[in-house]
Amino acid sequence: MSLKDLISPFYVWQRAFEKPYTQKRPIEDRPGAPRYRGFHMNSEDCIGCGTCESICQNRAIDMVPVEGLEQRPGDSGLRPRFDYGRCCWCALCVDICTTRSLHLSNHYAWVTEDPDAFHFTAGTDPMPWNENSLGYRRDDDYHLLVHDRIEMEMLGPDESVRGFDEVMKGYTEEQAVLEADRCVECGICVATCPAHMSVPDYIRSVRKRDYETGLRLLYETNPFSSTCGRICTHRCETVCVMGYQGDPIAIRFLKRAIVDRVPAERYREILGDDVSDNGRTVGVIGAGPGGMSAAYYLRRLGYGVTVYEAQARAGGMLRYGVPSYRLPDDQLDKDIDYIRSLGVEVRFNTLVGRDVTFQSLLDTHDAVFLAVGLNQPSALRINGEEHPRVLSGLKVLDDVANGLDPGIGRKVAVIGGGNVAMDAARVSRRMGAEVTVLYRRRIEDMPADPDEIHESQAEGCTLVAQAIPVEIKPAASEAQVTIVWGEAEMVADDKGGRPRPVLQEDRMHEETYDCVIAAIGQGGQIDFIPSDYREQIEFKWNKFVPGDYQQTGLAKLFVGGDIANSRADAISAIEDGHHAARGIHRFLGGSADA
Amino acid sequence: MNTVDEILDFAIEREQQAADFYSSLADRAQSAWMKEMLLSFSQEEMRHKGKLKSVKLGDRLLKADQHVQDLKVSDYLVDIEPTADISLQDALIVAMKREKAAYRLYSDMARTIDDPELKQMFLGLAQEEAKHKLYFEVQYDDQIMRDN
Amino acid sequence: MFEPTPQVDLSSGKYLKLWQGPQHPGITGNMALELTTMGDEIVDCKTHVGYLHRGFEKLMERRTFIQNFPIVCRIAVPEPTFNEYLYAAVVEELTGIESPERAEWIRTLNLELMRLASYLMWLGGIGAAFGQGTVYQWTVTHRDYILDLFEEMTGARVYHMYIVPGGVRGRLPEGFEERCNDVLNRVEKLLFDVEKVLFNNFVFKKRTKGLGVIAPEMVDQYGITGPNQRAAGFVRDLRRDAPYLVYDQLEFDVITATESDAYARSWVRYQEMHQGIRMLRQCLERTPREGPFQARMPNVLHWEVPAGETYVKAECTRGEYGYYMVTDGSEYVRRVHVRGPSYTHAIALMEKLAVGTNIADTAGLMVSLHTYPPEIER
Repeated sequence: MSLKDLISPFYVWQRAFEKPYTQKRPIEDRPGAPRYRGFHMNSEDCIGCGTCESICQNRAIDMVPVEGLEQRPGDSGLRPRFDYGRCCWCALCVDICTTRSLHLSNHYAWVTEDPDAFHFTAGTDPMPWNENSLGYRRDDDYHLLVHDRIEMEMLGPDESVRGFDEVMKGYTEEQAVLEADRCVECGICVATCPAHMSVPDYIRSVRKRDYETGLRLLYETNPFSSTCGRICTHRCETVCVMGYQGDPIAIRFLKRAIVDRVPAERYREILGDDVSDNGRTVGVIGAGPGGMSAAYYLRRLGYGVTVYEAQARAGGMLRYGVPSYRLPDDQLDKDIDYIRSLGVEVRFNTLVGRDVTFQSLLDTHDAVFLAVGLNQPSALRINGEEHPRVLSGLKVLDDVANGLDPGIGRKVAVIGGGNVAMDAARVSRRMGAEVTVLYRRRIEDMPADPDEIHESQAEGCTLVAQAIPVEIKPAASEAQVTIVWGEAEMVADDKGGRPRPVLQEDRMHEETYDCVIAAIGQGGQIDFIPSDYREQIEFKWNKFVPGDYQQTGLAKLFVGGDIANSRADAISAIEDGHHAARGIHRFLGGSADA
Repeated sequence: MNTVDEILDFAIEREQQAADFYSSLADRAQSAWMKEMLLSFSQEEMRHKGKLKSVKLGDRLLKADQHVQDLKVSDYLVDIEPTADISLQDALIVAMKREKAAYRLYSDMARTIDDPELKQMFLGLAQEEAKHKLYFEVQYDDQIMRDN
Repeated sequence: MFEPTPQVDLSSGKYLKLWQGPQHPGITGNMALELTTMGDEIVDCKTHVGYLHRGFEKLMERRTFIQNFPIVCRIAVPEPTFNEYLYAAVVEELTGIESPERAEWIRTLNLELMRLASYLMWLGGIGAAFGQGTVYQWTVTHRDYILDLFEEMTGARVYHMYIVPGGVRGRLPEGFEERCNDVLNRVEKLLFDVEKVLFNNFVFKKRTKGLGVIAPEMVDQYGITGPNQRAAGFVRDLRRDAPYLVYDQLEFDVITATESDAYARSWVRYQEMHQGIRMLRQCLERTPREGPFQARMPNVLHWEVPAGETYVKAECTRGEYGYYMVTDGSEYVRRVHVRGPSYTHAIALMEKLAVGTNIADTAGLMVSLHTYPPEIER
C-alpha cells in the first residue's frame, strides 16, 4: 500500500463546494423531451381504421364507438380506446397511423383518483394532456407502410388514341402481390362499397397468390368481377386509408388481378355453384349489370330465371355505353357467359311493352325484377337543338359498340362532364377527331371518374370548363354546326348542394364544329308499366323509390339499378340485383339469410 | 289594385291558378312518375299560396331586401308546350318559365306604381317568385343536368 | 474442469447454508446464490435463476416481426439497445434489407452511449459493493444525464425502442451534438474523480486484487467473453475482430490486462469508458446529417421474412451478445435464441469463482463479472 492510495480519495472533497446534481422534483417541473413517448392523443383526423389496434403487440387498443360520432363513408365511427394496464408506450400505433392523427404527448406523470381512468379513448375523453403540442410524432422520413402505388403498364396516349385496344394492361403477378401487400386490411372500404365486397380478404388472396379463394370471395357479392376490375367507380379507393398519406390501394385492379388469372372454364368448379331447380321462376327486365346480377343470385337459389333484353346482346350500359378500350367485349362476356352457363335464359331483342307485355311477365313469373337503366338522353332544350349535326352521346357510343359509323366528322364538341361525355370524347379521338369538351362547371366538379378525365386530356381532348351552351345555329356548310356558349361564374349553394354555374351574358363565344355531341344526363323509360300498377309504386323525381329488399308497392315487382338508385353506377346496380335476389327469395318464402 | 289586400288577393289567386294548372296537367299525364311529379309541383304552389295567405292575415312579413340568386337556367331554354306526355325535363322548364314570368309581372308593377307601400308589396312578391324560380332551377340543375 | 461438489455434512455444525438473493445480490438483478459457508469462507456456491423469466423467445414466436421490436429491449434492462440492434440486424440479414449509412452511424452512436451508461451503472455497483456508496451516487447521476440524451433522441429513457429493422426511428434532434459533448465532458471529469476515489483507494485495491482470478485456460472452457476475457490477457473484441456497423471506421484501442482479478476487470472497464468517449466524439463528428435513416420497407403489418437461419453477434459491455434466428417464410419467427454473456458468466463461472472467497466479497465478485440476470432467462 502506497501513501498515495491513502491520500488520493480525499482529493474529491473539493466537489463538496460544487452545485449539487439533485433536481427538486416535483417542486420544479421538468418537462419531457419534445420527442418523449408520453400519453396518447388523437386528433379529429382519425377515421377509426383500427390499424393501431392491429399492430399493437400488447392488445392494449380496442376500437370502440364514441357517443356523438356516427359511422359514415370513410369513417368507421370507432375510436381507439387505450388500456394503460397493457400499453408499453412503444408507439407503433403512432408509426402505423394511416391518417397521422395519433400522437403521444410529452406529458410525464398522470395522477388521478379514478381507479378506472387508465382505460380511456384518446382524443375524445378529456385527458389533461389533450392540448399538449409536444411529444412523439412519426418522423416524416420514417415509414412502416408503403405509400406509393405500384404503377400499372398502360398504353401511352399516342398509342391509345389509335385504336380501341384496352388501355390498362393489368398487373403482372409480382406487381399485383406488391400492390396487395400495401393494404392494411382495415376494411373501411367494405362499408363504402355499394356491394360491400370483402375487399381486404380478396386483396389478401392476391398477396397469397390464392386466386381460387379470391374468386370465391369476389362472387359472394359480385358476379361482374372482370368488369368491375376494370371500370368500377371504385368508391372504395376514394375512402382507402392509404390515400391519406399516399396513393390509395388499386383495389379495382387487384380484383382484376384475380379474374385475369382464373380461366373461365374453371369458374364452375372453383365456385361450386349448385343450381338445383326449386320449381319457381323469376322474370328479369334488362340484361344489364343489375338484371344479370339478380339472375345469378336467383339462379344459385334454384329459381328459373328468364331475362328480357331489348338489345341483341347482354350487358346493358356496360356493353353499349362503355367503350371497349376500357372494357373489352371478351371480358364482359366472361362475366355474362358464366351467369348464362348456370341456365339463365336471356331473350334478346325482346322489348317489354312491344314484344311482350308487363302483365304477362307478372302472370308467368313468381316475381319480377326490373332494372331497365337510364337510356333516354336528356335533351339540351336550347334553340336550334334539332339541327342534324347535334348527336347524342349515348347514340354515338351505341353505334361504336355495334360497329357502326356514328359520322362525327373531324372537329367535335362534346357537351357534358360525366363518364358518357368522357367516353364520347375519347371515342371521337380514336376516330381521328379533334375534340373539345364544354362543361358548365369546374373540372373538379365533373362527375366523371378522375382517371377518365386525366386520360382524356392525355389523349388530346381539350376540356373547357365553365362553358354554358346557349344556342345552336346552322353553319355556313350543312355538314357543320355552330354552337354559342357563354362563360359561367360559380356561385355557392346556400342549401348545401354543389356550386351552381351562372351564365355571364357579356362573355359569349361562338364556334363551328362538324358535330356537337350532347351528353348532359339521362332519364329512364317505364311507360310499359300499366297506369293502375304505377299508382301503387312510389317515385321521386325520375326514379323508383324501392322499399326494403328493393321491393315496390306492387309486391311482385322488385326494382334496381340506375333507375332506382341515385348513384347510377354498375356496382350499385350489381348490389341492387343481389339485394333484390335475396328479397325475392324471402318474399317467396325462402330463408332470410340466403 | 289599389290596396295591399287587393294585391295579395291577386297574387293568391295566381298561385291557385298555377296549382290548378299543374294538377290538371297531372290528370292528363301518361307517365306515372310525371303524374306524381306534377302533383308535387301543384303542392309546391299551394304552399306558396298558404304563405301569401298568412302574409295577408298579418302573421308574417314579406321582405324585399334579400338577394335571390338568378341562375339564369331558363333564359336560354326553348319554350315548351305542355302536353300529356310531358317529360320531367320539360315540366321543369315550364315551371321555371312560369315563375320567371310571375317575377317579371310583379317587378314591372313595382316599377309603374308610386305608392311606396304598394311598391314594397310588389317587390316582396317579386322576390318570392324569384325564390320559387330558384327552387326549380336547382332541381333542373340536379336532376336533369347531372352530367353537365 | 467441473469438479464434483464437495460433500459437506451440514449436521456436523461446521457449515452454514446462506442464501444471498433473490433480491439483487450486488446490483445485478434478481437471482439467488445458495452459499455453503464455513466461518465466513464459501465452500460451495449454487446459483438459482428464473425469477425474471418472462419467456421472451417464446413470446416472439407469437408476434409479427415488427411487433417484436419493442419486446427485445426488455431482455437486458440496463442495456436495451444491444438487443434492439441485434434484433434489427438479424432480421435485416434474413430479409436482405440494408440499413442506410446514416442509420448505421446513429446506431453506433446509440450503442456506445448505451455502453457508457451501462458502465456507469456498473461502476456505481462495484463501488457500492465495496462500501463506496458515494461513487454509486455520482455515476448513477451521470448515467441519468445520458438517459436525458436518450430521452431526447429516442423518446424514452430506458426502453428506447429506437433501432428498428431497416434503420432507426428518427433523426438526431436539433443541437444534440452540443448537449452530448457536454455530457461526455462531464462524464470524463467524473471518471477522473472516480479514479482518485476508487481505483487509487487502498481499501478497494486490497479487497479486489486477487479476488476471483480467472485463469487464462478457463476463458474458452467457460465461454468467457468481453472485459472478463480481456482482463485475462486475451486481445479479443468483436468490434475489431468482426466489425459491424461503422466500427471499422472508428479509432479505438482494445484494452487488456493480465492479472484477471476483480481489480483488473474493473480497470479494463474503466479504460473502455474512456475509449467509449473517444468513439462517441468521432461519431458525433462524423454522423451524416443528411440522407435516409431507414431502408425502404415492405408493409410491416404482414411482413413475411424469407425462410432461413442465421446468427448475428455484437460486442456488448459484458461480452458477446448474439441472436440466432430461424424463419420459415411466414409472418412469424419460427425460433429465436438470445445469447447473453451473463449466461456463462453468472452461473458456471460464478459457482467456480465463489469457492474460497468470503461472504463479504460475494457481491463484489458478482459485480466484477458484470452480469444481468434478465438475459439469462430469455
